[in-house]
Amino acid sequence: MEHLAYDIRNGDFGGAGAASRDLKQHLKRIGAEPDAVRRAMIAAYEAEMNVVIHTEGGRLEATVSDGQLDVDVVDRGPGIPDVPQAMREGFSTAPSEARALGFGAGMGLPNIERNSDRLRVTSAVGDGTRVSFSIMLRPEAADQGARPSSLSIAAELCRDCRHCLASCPTAAVRVRESRPSVLHHLCIDCTCCIAACDPGALTLLDAPDELAPAADGVLAVPPALLAGFGDHAVETVLEELRGLGFAEVVSVHPYEDELRQGVLELAATSALPAPVISPVCPAVVSLIEVKYPSLVPHLAPLASPWEALQRDLGERDVTYVVSCPSQRTALLAQQPTEQRHTVTPRLVREAMLPRLATRRRVAHHASAPRPQAAGADDLVVVSGVSHVLAVLEQIEDGRLTDVASLEPFICDGGCFGSPLLAEDAYVAAWRWAATAGAAPGEARSHERARPYRPRPGIRLDPDMAVAIRKLAELDAETRALPGKDCGACGAPTCAALAEDIVMERAVRALCPYITAEKESAS
Amino acid sequence: MKLEDIARELGLIELTPEVSAGDEAEIERGYASDLLSDVLAHAPEGGVLVTLQVHLNVIAVASHAELAAVIFAGDRRPDEDMRAKAVAEGIALFVSPADTFDIVGRLYAMGIQGTHA
Repeated sequence: MEHLAYDIRNGDFGGAGAASRDLKQHLKRIGAEPDAVRRAMIAAYEAEMNVVIHTEGGRLEATVSDGQLDVDVVDRGPGIPDVPQAMREGFSTAPSEARALGFGAGMGLPNIERNSDRLRVTSAVGDGTRVSFSIMLRPEAADQGARPSSLSIAAELCRDCRHCLASCPTAAVRVRESRPSVLHHLCIDCTCCIAACDPGALTLLDAPDELAPAADGVLAVPPALLAGFGDHAVETVLEELRGLGFAEVVSVHPYEDELRQGVLELAATSALPAPVISPVCPAVVSLIEVKYPSLVPHLAPLASPWEALQRDLGERDVTYVVSCPSQRTALLAQQPTEQRHTVTPRLVREAMLPRLATRRRVAHHASAPRPQAAGADDLVVVSGVSHVLAVLEQIEDGRLTDVASLEPFICDGGCFGSPLLAEDAYVAAWRWAATAGAAPGEARSHERARPYRPRPGIRLDPDMAVAIRKLAELDAETRALPGKDCGACGAPTCAALAEDIVMERAVRALCPYITAEKESAS
Repeated sequence: MKLEDIARELGLIELTPEVSAGDEAEIERGYASDLLSDVLAHAPEGGVLVTLQVHLNVIAVASHAELAAVIFAGDRRPDEDMRAKAVAEGIALFVSPADTFDIVGRLYAMGIQGTHA
């Protein structure tokens, strides 16, 4: 893992290109694919020129990690009033000086978008703009790059507490030089590091960062949002959501019920090995693909509730309120053009609170008995990452033979328990159960669009001979480390640091125990 | 078509003999534009660029787009700074008194095609 930083001055047309040129040399040295180097250069140069032309100056920071380049370009203002407009080809506010030099044709941001595998632009007028993009440096990484990532990292908010390190179920997080980063080949887009990160350095990507309802637009929401506004009734919340300017508001819950039914039916046919695992939580699906590939055959070949809903809404203009990165990633993977239409619950909450302030509150939600799906007794619902890991281990070891079907959620309390939602999981779930009848809807079950695929997350090298050699090195490195799993090196465990060393993402000297030993010896 | 052959055919003024002399690389594609972002987005790797722009950013863009050569149309001449930078980046520079249209037309007639042809 390597970190590079460059200052960019306003109006410095002569010096522009220095950062991108240096970055290029760097990428070539580490053997990145020529096409990736070229794309990285174009994107970095455009970002650099934007700072030179439009801003008070700024900084380009680049992190090169395993197979991926992450670039962050932050400037000191003036900010972009309308980001979607700035993203449109041909739109430009460049001064004539820049135009005379052949810039300012409104191609900068579109050029960055075209050449990167992931782009996020956020801006505050008067404050500045942040352009973050990633490029996959190896073809196999680019393959996975088709699977976008939805975790946002704002390094400047990091307090170096390292709570994120131990929280990650796949040991994907690293914190080095007070900068969190994620090994994307291991990241399953769950909420664990988000829940662990108090200052909010790690969170759900909030692009776009404003609601833009189209006249015929649909707002798709999770039940947890409908039941997440304190003592406001679900009907009231639904009404006010429509009032935000959407033609229709749909809830994903009928698709959750439909999926549950589909899983139970599959479990009854014994077409799949037992227990049949529901793909309700895309993060658990990724967890299985990365960490428990032998359990892939247990996964029911059905679309997740959000994926199924997206298929039914077809070509309509839909804004999805997603409550975790994995839902966002699943939606984008299925229909990449939807990029601009996934928003965070926080965004909707901020728009809703002033509207709800004047609405009548409910004194008590009268509880209504909820109809249960037939055969629901055969279903074990497991939520919370530690429970999910424990149960998946049991299945892998062949020790869970009496369970027909499993509905696992990474978040404690299911999707109601996402750390991105304001209401407590148990309160929201109770309120929902009491008033769900207020939000009718219908759903159809869908086959899965993308087949499940074990991800080679923990493979050391595509070439097995090399992998075997690296395995021996890994063994030696692990033995050389103290085994304290203290996290001081920025990796969650000694084993993770050993792997970082073997994969050339880190050096042994990062371990304070080894460094101290050396110093006392000399 | 080699750079030196192109220069001779078109009667180009060679500014960077240290780059183009003995360069055996075949030029097969070209691009003409004065919008540098457009060049960056669409110019073909290893190709030749015809442009009216004469300033340092042209060299930066040509380097990023991995172009082999730049032909400045309308008798526009780069300064020594720019020339030195181009030499350092291994990009050949030429000047032609002809305008862009004629230069491109003659390149095309010699079999050099656009990016997407």
